[in-house]
Amino acid sequence: MIDDRTLNDWFCREVLPLEPSLASYIRRNWRSADDLGDLRQEIYERVLIGAQKDLPQNARGYLFTTARNHLINKAMRARIVSFEQVSDMENIGQDVDMFDLERHLTARDELRWALEALNQLPPRCREVVSLRKVEGLPVSEITAQLGISKNTAETHIKNGLRAIAEYMLGGTGKVQRRPSRRAAAGEREQ
Amino acid sequence: MTASPQIDRNAIEDTAAHWVMRREEPDWSGAEQAELDAWLAESMAHKAAFWRLEYAWRQADRIGSLGETVRAPSRLAFADSWIGRNLRPMAIAASLLLVFGFAVMQLSHQPVTPRVEQAGQTIATRVGGHTVVPLDDGSRIELNTATLLRASVTEQSREVWLDKGEAYFEVKHSDTVPFVVYAGPRTVTVLGTKFLVRRDGDKVTVSVIEGRVRVDEVMPKGQAGSSSTVTTGDVAIAEGNSTLVAARSPERVESALAWRDGMLTFDQVTLGEAAVEFNRYNERKLVIADPEVARIKIGGTFRASNIDAFVRLLHDAYGLDAQVAGNEVKVTN
Repeated sequence: MIDDRTLNDWFCREVLPLEPSLASYIRRNWRSADDLGDLRQEIYERVLIGAQKDLPQNARGYLFTTARNHLINKAMRARIVSFEQVSDMENIGQDVDMFDLERHLTARDELRWALEALNQLPPRCREVVSLRKVEGLPVSEITAQLGISKNTAETHIKNGLRAIAEYMLGGTGKVQRRPSRRAAAGEREQ
Repeated sequence: MTASPQIDRNAIEDTAAHWVMRREEPDWSGAEQAELDAWLAESMAHKAAFWRLEYAWRQADRIGSLGETVRAPSRLAFADSWIGRNLRPMAIAASLLLVFGFAVMQLSHQPVTPRVEQAGQTIATRVGGHTVVPLDDGSRIELNTATLLRASVTEQSREVWLDKGEAYFEVKHSDTVPFVVYAGPRTVTVLGTKFLVRRDGDKVTVSVIEGRVRVDEVMPKGQAGSSSTVTTGDVAIAEGNSTLVAARSPERVESALAWRDGMLTFDQVTLGEAAVEFNRYNERKLVIADPEVARIKIGGTFRASNIDAFVRLLHDAYGLDAQVAGNEVKVTN
């Protein structure tokens, strides 16, 4: 049995950096992009339950095998005849290797990425998250500075936190990207 | 904290976000820590969500190193270049590098320049091709397989003729200069929006991803034709005198764009219809002679260029056989 601290370390070090690859793997092999978040969460849960017994030697292989099995089980239960799920399995090794690039981010890339994540938040949310993250203010001071309720401030932080995680970890997906880019550009559409 | 933690991922994530936030607060108490520990111990799903958000939030700490500068978020310098605008957040994501690389490769094979500079320039893609063309006004056109179009963009007018095939348009907004797509028997007029136009002979399909477009029937001078307004999530199918506007779910409209990633998405279409789609992208054609086989319904996402995988899976799932003869793949029972 692996203790929680070790499990958490392993999860952050070996698994979470693969989230962009996992997200694109799910997108390619599942017909509805709406299910991405749910599937990812279910896969992580299974990965952790398995790893709790014994940390896998090869996190990447383990993650994608778990993902594949989960998608196949889901598809079978939903009675979806989805060929791609099977066909792409053969290529899984190659596909995954191609995404290896993503793991080698420099500090500058990380900063840029984090900034982008912040920039794509809606204006009010961005303001609250900036106060929190850049100036490290507690909720009570944010409410005082911006004249908003505690509840509102907390909701902005929570939403911002989730959106930033989505963006920083796997957020190369169109579903998240399209509205956010529009919001960031502030373009007025016809 | 949630009644059915296994079911509602959204609620789990929200609770996890709450804990990540609360734990940074100055009045974080031992009682709360105990509550958090209990919540984490309830299920591995809770741990997965909490650890993930905690990790990502920590990653974003780098923003803090910028201090005040971030308060007035300025676009990053490279965001102004074309590549910046389109590949900006994912510049390092291999997937898009591949797509981009593919687009560049396609361009280099074709006798066209990627920029449309003078009026009436012709851009074409071959079967299986895929090209992105930036226009001088900041709009961009993405051509799907076997597509031929001409574009003329000046300060006074923005016009595109879709002679055949399918193209996705991201039109830069302008209050004064409308963007007009002439697609055979229909013209599509917009001020700034994102939409898809597909032309199969005289049948024209317009899917609006974002914004609003007007679809007009082309009539001889002096006669008034039909005119329809199509908005976000709608699909207009025009043939002859009729224009049918159907409201579709955003997912359906979205899936019509799967080709931009080299994929085909089918939602319960017949094998016959699927074959027609595959054949748009490949020189090798699927032939389904048996009407009974052609009526089989399928769904799923497929790589447009990989007929072999598709055929192999038809075999595995339905026991269908395939015979290759020259440039044809005959699928039979």
